[in-house]
Amino acid sequence: MTPIQTGPESGTTPPLRPARPAPESVQPNWAGALRQELFASRTDGLVSVLLIMVILAAALGLLRWALAQAQWAVIQANTSLFAIGRYPVQQQWRLWLLVVLVAALSGVSWGLLRAFPRADRSGEIWPFNDRLVVALLGFLAAWLPAALALGLPLQLRWWVITALLVTMRWLAGHWGRSLPSRLVKLVPLSWPLLYLFGMVLIAGGLGLPRVPPSEWGGLLLTLLMASFAILLSFPIGVVVALGRRSSLPLLRWSSVLYIEFIRGAPLITLLFLGQNILGYMLPGGWAPDRVWRAAWVLTFFCGAYLAEAVRAGLSAVPPGQLEAARSLGLSMPLALQRVVLPQALRIALPAAVGQFISLLQDTTLLSLIGLLDLLGTARTVMANPEFLGKNAEVYLTLAVLFWCCCAALGLGSRALERRLDPTHSPV
Amino acid sequence: MPSTQPMIEARGVQKWYPNGFHALRGVDLSVSKGEVVVIMGPSGSGKSTFIRTFNALEEFQEGSISVDGIALSNDLRNIDAIRCDTGMVFQQFNLFPHLTVLENLSLAPVVVRKRRRSEVETQAMALLERVGIAEQASKYPGQLSGGQQQRVAIARSLCMEPRILLFDEPTSALDPEMVGEVLEVMRGLAAEGMTMVVVTHEMGFAREVAHRVVLMSEGQIVEEAAPETFFTNPQHERSRQFLAQIL
Repeated sequence: MTPIQTGPESGTTPPLRPARPAPESVQPNWAGALRQELFASRTDGLVSVLLIMVILAAALGLLRWALAQAQWAVIQANTSLFAIGRYPVQQQWRLWLLVVLVAALSGVSWGLLRAFPRADRSGEIWPFNDRLVVALLGFLAAWLPAALALGLPLQLRWWVITALLVTMRWLAGHWGRSLPSRLVKLVPLSWPLLYLFGMVLIAGGLGLPRVPPSEWGGLLLTLLMASFAILLSFPIGVVVALGRRSSLPLLRWSSVLYIEFIRGAPLITLLFLGQNILGYMLPGGWAPDRVWRAAWVLTFFCGAYLAEAVRAGLSAVPPGQLEAARSLGLSMPLALQRVVLPQALRIALPAAVGQFISLLQDTTLLSLIGLLDLLGTARTVMANPEFLGKNAEVYLTLAVLFWCCCAALGLGSRALERRLDPTHSPV
Repeated sequence: MPSTQPMIEARGVQKWYPNGFHALRGVDLSVSKGEVVVIMGPSGSGKSTFIRTFNALEEFQEGSISVDGIALSNDLRNIDAIRCDTGMVFQQFNLFPHLTVLENLSLAPVVVRKRRRSEVETQAMALLERVGIAEQASKYPGQLSGGQQQRVAIARSLCMEPRILLFDEPTSALDPEMVGEVLEVMRGLAAEGMTMVVVTHEMGFAREVAHRVVLMSEGQIVEEAAPETFFTNPQHERSRQFLAQIL
């Protein structure tokens, strides 16, 4: 390569023009952008004004109803029912312990993510978004327990839990780097362990008295069903997707059969079917009661759709990747595990998270087979003569709860996507 | 100078693609230790298919190939052993985009050869130094130019300490200004006595570095000669046509 000559020593050729700063119109600025986005032309302006008025009117109407007319007592009186259903009072300390552990581990993981930025980025320990999230958490901890009219001891608990999360985030962010690397590597592993431990806490066992699934309910049951199905459907999806691309005909055909069978029937049908026949299909003791049967149906349902997402990811990885891995001596399982799957799963991530979000929403169907998930609980509350006619308040609360869970899933997945994206240029 | 000890021994290799196309029609080639063989030929002549049989990326139906004394058979252990000792550099680089440059180099030595990561990374940094991109070690392949990516790909192969390097059109996907830096690295390897089989159309490289030039056409070897003879006095009509087209 011959370097292009610039500067005074280049003798006969005239010097190259140096770069100039960009003109105003290229650089983004607030007012200019607003004008360009909303009021570029007469029609644009008209449409913008009309839309803004419609949105404002709707928002105002909703606000007026929520603040003046709505009677939130129906929610305030049933917070514990909505949160955990009929979980026995003397065992509820187990759930509090679980919340504390989750908050602590979330704080630690979050802090470590900032303490160990990706190899090609310079990391900021407190980026703007993180400060925003902490502010939001603080606001929620201060306002929500009070708005729900919880007793002072309960309010205090939520303050302590929020403080714990933020403190762990702060500690891990600042001193994460000085921890021994072996300890740091344990953190991702501690999540599945915490999940298993949480299961034990919720269901009982290992010396704790058993709380049967029929006593779980509300948000607890919804989150439990959704997380169970999400976690277990993932390996199922990967295995079935690989099976569908396998060169062994039997494996390929059974994968196709499974996917097409599940995708060919509505979830509600499968749920009812599951209540009746799953007991015969799974090994004894795996689906002992209605809740677990429903959980397995959700899992297999989600697994089939996930398999299609993963398959799309697999076919988007160029065949040269597998060839390169194989030519370096990696065996087929190693090449899949270290080279092909990481890329395929990253590509499949948005579709998979879309699937998880709809799964979370599909858990409402559990109320139709008589389980007391969020919607089921809501229906029992609304059927209570004391709260007749308070449907709007209950449904709005439900919608906001689901919206928060789905938004969290979506935001988390986008953050993960950015972190895994090798071509995303450092900011 | 190459010794007489054969590193690759191909005898009567026949290959048909599943659609019935007869891609290799009885190819014989023997490559000695330390020898640089350049394979040329028009597209579709089977040259890429042929070198991809050496590390079993392509199967063949008849004939025999042995690499470094190990016969290529359907025994998976044999194939993995050969692949460990045979580096391959691809036209499209095929770097792993989700790993940094350093991780690209150290993956196979760590997971296949079970070597210590710290030791492998020291060696990988030395190799990156040698191909002139040590300062890019923590970047991702997508952040490098084509020429840099191909040099990383060469370093990745070298990190497994192969006894043979196969190059499948290593400069064909590069912008012209980046061809030179890759050929420079390959020249250095040849000078150190690496056994190399190179599919390329780079005449300058072939003339200067190759010990032998092989011309393939329609799945067979048409001419096999020292570069001087091949470029100045080709014996076969096909060779003359081919040279007339690329000159």
